[in-house]
Amino acid sequence: MAPRAHLALRRPEWSRGEHPVVNVPFIEISSVRKSFPARGGGAVSVLSGIDLAIAENEFVSLVGRSGCGKTTLLNIIAGLEAASGGSVAIAGRPVTGPGQGQGVVFQQHALFPWLAAVDNVGFGFRNAGLSKRQRRARSMELLRLVGLQAAATKYPRELSGGMQQRVSIARALALDPQILLMDEPFGALDELTRIELQQELLRIWQARRKTVVFVTHSINEALILSDRIVLLAANPGRIKRIFEVGMERPRSRTAPSFNALYEDIWNELSS
Amino acid sequence: MNALARRLRDSDLAVGAVGAFGLVAIWEIAARTGLVDPQLFPSPLLAIEMAAARLTAETVGENLAWSLFRVFSGFGLGASAGAVIGIAAGWYRTFGMIARPLIELLRPIPPLAWIPLAIIWFGLGEPSKFFIIFLGAFFPVVTSAYHGMRSIDPMLLRAGQTMGLGGVPLLFRVAVPAAAPDLATGVRIGWGLSFGVLVAAELVAADRGLGYMIINERNTGGSVGVIIVGILLIGLLNLVTDAAIGAATKRWIGRWHGT
Repeated sequence: MAPRAHLALRRPEWSRGEHPVVNVPFIEISSVRKSFPARGGGAVSVLSGIDLAIAENEFVSLVGRSGCGKTTLLNIIAGLEAASGGSVAIAGRPVTGPGQGQGVVFQQHALFPWLAAVDNVGFGFRNAGLSKRQRRARSMELLRLVGLQAAATKYPRELSGGMQQRVSIARALALDPQILLMDEPFGALDELTRIELQQELLRIWQARRKTVVFVTHSINEALILSDRIVLLAANPGRIKRIFEVGMERPRSRTAPSFNALYEDIWNELSS
Repeated sequence: MNALARRLRDSDLAVGAVGAFGLVAIWEIAARTGLVDPQLFPSPLLAIEMAAARLTAETVGENLAWSLFRVFSGFGLGASAGAVIGIAAGWYRTFGMIARPLIELLRPIPPLAWIPLAIIWFGLGEPSKFFIIFLGAFFPVVTSAYHGMRSIDPMLLRAGQTMGLGGVPLLFRVAVPAAAPDLATGVRIGWGLSFGVLVAAELVAADRGLGYMIINERNTGGSVGVIIVGILLIGLLNLVTDAAIGAATKRWIGRWHGT
């Protein structure tokens, strides 16, 4: 594949070489299923037979209609929900709960409203045995990374939606997680802010070497960001098809290859 | 000075103060022109004069101090117990299932209905008043704490979990702060109720305190002035303490919660 060679040249030093997909799986999802007891007996199957291997430093998007279980899958990787069957392992260790190296960014309203931005970012440090001054310095550094050092003492309700999500990203990065799990983090933002934050996220991802699993409704967003796009179908939630996005970054939303892939995904999604 | 003037102009407080002052002025005029009988309804200044003739400032201060002492200690304990039990009932499922029906069963009983029992159980001394005031604070606080805990955005708990928190640390670092605005509302309602039942309890069974002071004046055929001053004092005390609680609440949670 021609774009792949291209990609290899453009990718940062640390991931140069083979496309990460074929390497050792970093997140290994095997035969994961999830069902809830249904009203009036039986069970509703939300996810069935999910097998997915994600490489270290890979950026993978989960795309699909509402109800396809993409958020549930993300929550299972995060350790926030237990799978009904199958397993998820991160770096070979099975996921048994949250806080095992998964940083999570939620859609919105997940910042602690009683804490100023800098304290939201530093929230997780308290368990990490740092002095107050060290915590603050590291929180400020992370706020600087997301361009918000000036808003450090503001409370969430005093920040715009875009700023709140920047703080959320900084907070998720605070404990230096290996994996960043993002559940439609830009879904509630206006278009311009959204594009800005997409660029910001790519910059952070490339600078900080994270494995990212990103849930989105937007094919466009998935195409701008991802190495691979996993298309999920509903009833029961399952992987319908996986698309490789072999384009170099930054990607142009108007490039013919971009639009061709958009068409492919849309056709698959609506078929 | 300038800033103060601006704040006064912008605040409802200033408007309210003008209204209150106006009412007192009308009252004073009505009493002086003989529109109302000064023996039954003396003007504010006359009432103070009459009270001053009957009681020393020391007596009034002593009664006031007793009332305050009772309400602070009873409320403090009732609100603390309410907060602890409400939070625990909201957090621990089983405990909630046991505690909630009991609370709901006892909550509709007005605290004053407990007075006869309180007297039988605790006698006429301090413990019976303490008990009534305790009840006045306990139920509003326990209810609001419970509801605060049950209405926490699950997103916040999840966010806390993703940062490695669980169990008691999650409770204290995420759940309790998230429930704080509801808790604060309960504390304020509880304070008002405590204050109300304090005076009622003192009217019925006490030998000191503001409630006792006014009922004693009535029973011994003293002056209406003392009763009016007593009532106004009770109102003023409640006003000031309630405003203090409101200001403290605003200071702690106003900026992030927006109330």
